[in-house]
Amino acid sequence: MFESLDPLLHSELRLAIMSILLSVEEADFVYLKEQTKATSGNLSVQIDKLNEAGYIDVERGFVGKRTRTVCKITPVGVKAFEEYVEALKTYLNLPK
Amino acid sequence: MEDKQLNEKESLELIAQMIRNTQQRLEKVHAIPFLIFGYITVITSIIVWYLQKTTPNSLWNLLWLAIPIVGGITVFALFYNKRPRIRTFVDKAVDYVWWVCGGTVMVATFIPNLWKFVPVLFTVSLLISLGTTLTGLITKVRILVISGIIGIAAALAIPFVKGLDSILFFAAIFIVMMVIPGHILYWKGRK
Repeated sequence: MFESLDPLLHSELRLAIMSILLSVEEADFVYLKEQTKATSGNLSVQIDKLNEAGYIDVERGFVGKRTRTVCKITPVGVKAFEEYVEALKTYLNLPK
Repeated sequence: MEDKQLNEKESLELIAQMIRNTQQRLEKVHAIPFLIFGYITVITSIIVWYLQKTTPNSLWNLLWLAIPIVGGITVFALFYNKRPRIRTFVDKAVDYVWWVCGGTVMVATFIPNLWKFVPVLFTVSLLISLGTTLTGLITKVRILVISGIIGIAAALAIPFVKGLDSILFFAAIFIVMMVIPGHILYWKGRK
């Protein structure tokens, strides 16, 4: 039986952001932009969506005079990611 | 990268690729704190040794406070507002090691009369050597592991060094354990 895939995670950019944040403690906007090669506008929109869903925490601050956005995955985000991977396995007939 | 839908296989490939890219980042150990605390400890040790030798007075021991005060302020001033773009669990683990080792050093040196039972220079050099070795092991930086182990061995010898010479021995430990690896890390970081 196929399990439903979380629509919030089943998009290229949002999944990439979550994958990066899963393997680090925190990452800033510039790092995420470099790794995903997304445009600032698009990345910003997707970060907001993940933040609204409670999957990531976003901290906006300043370094000197420049703004700096730092993202961290939340426990809710980790659980959603794990469930997403488990659901993917059912589609690909991978052992759970 | 766009906001497009992926098929299941693409999703798994993307997850693997992003995690792989992040793990390829080489862990960097900042050389500057090693150099600052190394040099301040060596200079303070030599000054205290000289003053104690020429004009013996226990008040000269207050000069040891220069290490946490001058070192702490200098490191804070250099790294304030320089938060790294990415912070991994390894970075966090190294921070914890130094909070525990540095914190224990501070507490141990302020416990009244502890030095009557355990030589302070032994406690300090052993804890900082442990911090250096653990930092090297966590970050896989061999020079820190080697210098830290030498530091541990030398720290265990401090109780056997009598009189003011133990201060010079303490300074020598910090040259091997912090100053030399600090310069090597700094040189490698600039390449």
